[in-house]
Amino acid sequence: MSENIKRRDFLKGAVTGAGVGVLGAMGLYSYSGARKSLFTKTDRKMTDIGTCRKVKVTNISETSWFNNQTLVGDIKGAGGLLVDQYSYNWPPFGNGKGLGKGSYEAGMAMIKEYLPHDLDKAWEIAEANSVNPENAGGYAALLEVEELSGNTRKFLLDSGWSYKWMDECFKREGIDKMLENREIEALFISHEHFDHYWGLPVTLKYDPTITIYIPEGFYPEGKQYIKDAGHTGKLVAVKSGLCKHIPGMASYVFPIPIICRVYGEQSLYFNIKDKGLVSVTGCCHQGIIRFAETAYNELKYEKDQCHGIYGGLHISPFDDWDPKYDDLVISLERYGFERIGCNHCTGVLCAKKFITAGYPVVEGTARFRSKDKAYLGNGDTITFG
Amino acid sequence: MERYGEQYLEERKLVKRWAGPVPAIVSLVLTLAVFYLTWWIFQDPRGLMRMYTPYIGYMYCRWWLIMMIWMVYIFDFWPFKRKWLETAHPLVKGTVLTLVSVAILLALVKGFFEGLLGNFGLAYFNPEQLEKLPGVTSFFAVEYAALAILMFAAIASWLSPAWVVAMENAPWQKQGQPVRGFSILMVTFFLSTVVYFVTMHPHMGILYHPWQYFTSIAPPYWEQFADTVSGNFHVSWIMCCTVVVWLVETIWERYPFNLIRHDWTRRLATFFGIILIALAMHFFLYFAQELTWGEAVRGTRRAFAPDWRWLHVGEMAIFFLVPALFLTFYCDSWPKKFSMPVNVAVRTVISLVAAVLLYILYYKTSHLFLGTQKGFSHPQQFPMIPMIWLINIWLAHHWFMDNWPAWKMVPKTQEEIDAAHAAKKAQVDEVRMTPRFVTGMGAGVAMGVAFYAVTVWVLPAMYQIIDIIPK
Repeated sequence: MSENIKRRDFLKGAVTGAGVGVLGAMGLYSYSGARKSLFTKTDRKMTDIGTCRKVKVTNISETSWFNNQTLVGDIKGAGGLLVDQYSYNWPPFGNGKGLGKGSYEAGMAMIKEYLPHDLDKAWEIAEANSVNPENAGGYAALLEVEELSGNTRKFLLDSGWSYKWMDECFKREGIDKMLENREIEALFISHEHFDHYWGLPVTLKYDPTITIYIPEGFYPEGKQYIKDAGHTGKLVAVKSGLCKHIPGMASYVFPIPIICRVYGEQSLYFNIKDKGLVSVTGCCHQGIIRFAETAYNELKYEKDQCHGIYGGLHISPFDDWDPKYDDLVISLERYGFERIGCNHCTGVLCAKKFITAGYPVVEGTARFRSKDKAYLGNGDTITFG
Repeated sequence: MERYGEQYLEERKLVKRWAGPVPAIVSLVLTLAVFYLTWWIFQDPRGLMRMYTPYIGYMYCRWWLIMMIWMVYIFDFWPFKRKWLETAHPLVKGTVLTLVSVAILLALVKGFFEGLLGNFGLAYFNPEQLEKLPGVTSFFAVEYAALAILMFAAIASWLSPAWVVAMENAPWQKQGQPVRGFSILMVTFFLSTVVYFVTMHPHMGILYHPWQYFTSIAPPYWEQFADTVSGNFHVSWIMCCTVVVWLVETIWERYPFNLIRHDWTRRLATFFGIILIALAMHFFLYFAQELTWGEAVRGTRRAFAPDWRWLHVGEMAIFFLVPALFLTFYCDSWPKKFSMPVNVAVRTVISLVAAVLLYILYYKTSHLFLGTQKGFSHPQQFPMIPMIWLINIWLAHHWFMDNWPAWKMVPKTQEEIDAAHAAKKAQVDEVRMTPRFVTGMGAGVAMGVAFYAVTVWVLPAMYQIIDIIPK
């Protein structure tokens, strides 16, 4: 056998062996317990956001839409959950062309002159040109933060969807007067979704100068809406990550893609003196466990305890289900939340699973079109601290 | 005796119309144009039919792939006669065969799954049956049914070609069509059904509240091992099996399994070897995510959720298949000049590098033109759909249209067929278990393990350097 042939044989063997070696190592090591020794251990940042005495949350509205079948039927008819929300032809951006054929520009052209001073007229036009306008509700909450000094500061989280419904809700909870009196310092928009954001003119009707915090990642239509809706105050596009606001209160922006062509969600953390961390969310598309894990990795908080959570936890917003949600129900126990005030996109089904699993879910009163006492409904309040 | 399309793919000679890489480039441009046009018509959330809901589009995409595999690999184009395959214009052939594949697809989905199984067996295959349940909206009824049907497709897209590639059509290899086709169809469908029941049915059983303890194992038996109750754990390794079958068939030319002389030993080694290789990919690609993004956290959503990580394993695997098929279909399985092991190794490295580049390119840019969103994880986003859609177009183009117009199909003469068989045999015979081969293999195993260790070591740093998702 010539040297050349021997070399060729060696090469063939080596190449074959390399494949066997790589695949063998991949198969034997990659999911073994030993792999965990290679995971990077990250130190907790323990960022101090200060403390506050308590936080009271008033649920202005959690009923983003009133009929699941109608909303999901619209989504189905328009082409599914990835379709751009501005093209559904939902109010207030209806252009009269039917489901899935809307656009921000055409819809806005019909109502712009009435924003934000004549919302009745704007909504009347929107109703005439939109798909299922009667199904629109909205999500918004009033946050009253009591500082250690005893001083209370007020913030809005989201501004809902339907001008008509949200105006009713604002009046019911006295938000209109608070805004007119400039008692509310700022509006935090959790994300660009229709049910949290499209009711913006309702807030601006009473206080067009209010400071607005939006998460970075808004699409051009969303940014334009702030201008078209008549905002004259300060606008802050919050970068991804942590942003401190007042002692004991910080927001955190998660750069995540969300259904209906939305990007990024802003949620809030409160550090309650002698109690622990309270998390307040709009929809929590990032997931409550990531929300809790992020707090653990980033923040220093009282007693190192996750005290409470409020908001839409985005688990089964359309009463749909998936085994991964069971992973959440099974795993939530590890985080030790002491009070869970959930509603909206948490889904009634999920709230009931939480209750069955023995979690401390604060039940509601099912008033003002909220459907079930399994969670905090419209007009209900919860106080942490 | 009519041969239909038996050995048609092997016995056709594709002659380039232009020299050099021009035919491959023309074909790439042409198929990408068809991809984008059809994506817009059928799948794009901004387009006409908007089937990317996502599960409806995903289901049809997966089953269309299998329809073509059935027609070409299992049924050898039966009932289309050999003469017609050799003489019909590629455009006519492509149109007719594509329409037939779609007709079978619709009959299968609407008739068999939704109509028969969904109405008389398992309700979750039929959206109308699901809508009768309290709390299930019409949208999710359709999505759940599509999910179940596509989960079946994932299994069938592994087992259908595996019987041809690994089992070499045995024991029906000497039967004519359609006897062979129906026999293999029956056995692979039966096996798919068994695998479906032990991997996907428990997922469907906990999809509705309350858990369906009476009809499925709940929580599913893989919960502790996989760190999730989701069936995505199985989607992951089954997708890897699908990819590995095609790697074995295309760029690996069935190497090294083709070195085994004994027929049944070779067949079984190939069949189970594919599964073992797939499991290695399955575990490694999960580990790769842990190394780059951090350890998964059970119960959370998106990129840190174990269920999504398993799904993403399958998504990553499919990126590997795209360049491998391009190399085979449009680059004439380049290179061919070395020994079989070296050819295989070079093609594997090319495909691997191209897959990584494609992965980066996809996540950097796809949201700009596919109607999807930027970001890795999204509950309604599946890179498998565009990747498989593109692969489907390539399969239709390569199998049904003989790579027209950049290539021209000419049937090989008997001498050419014999010469090709002889060359293939010589290539296999050339690889012998000599002492030098065995020594080389030992050294290769050590190098392979070292390569793995280095990869694991540099992966986190490499990922940090490459900013995949644009700000």
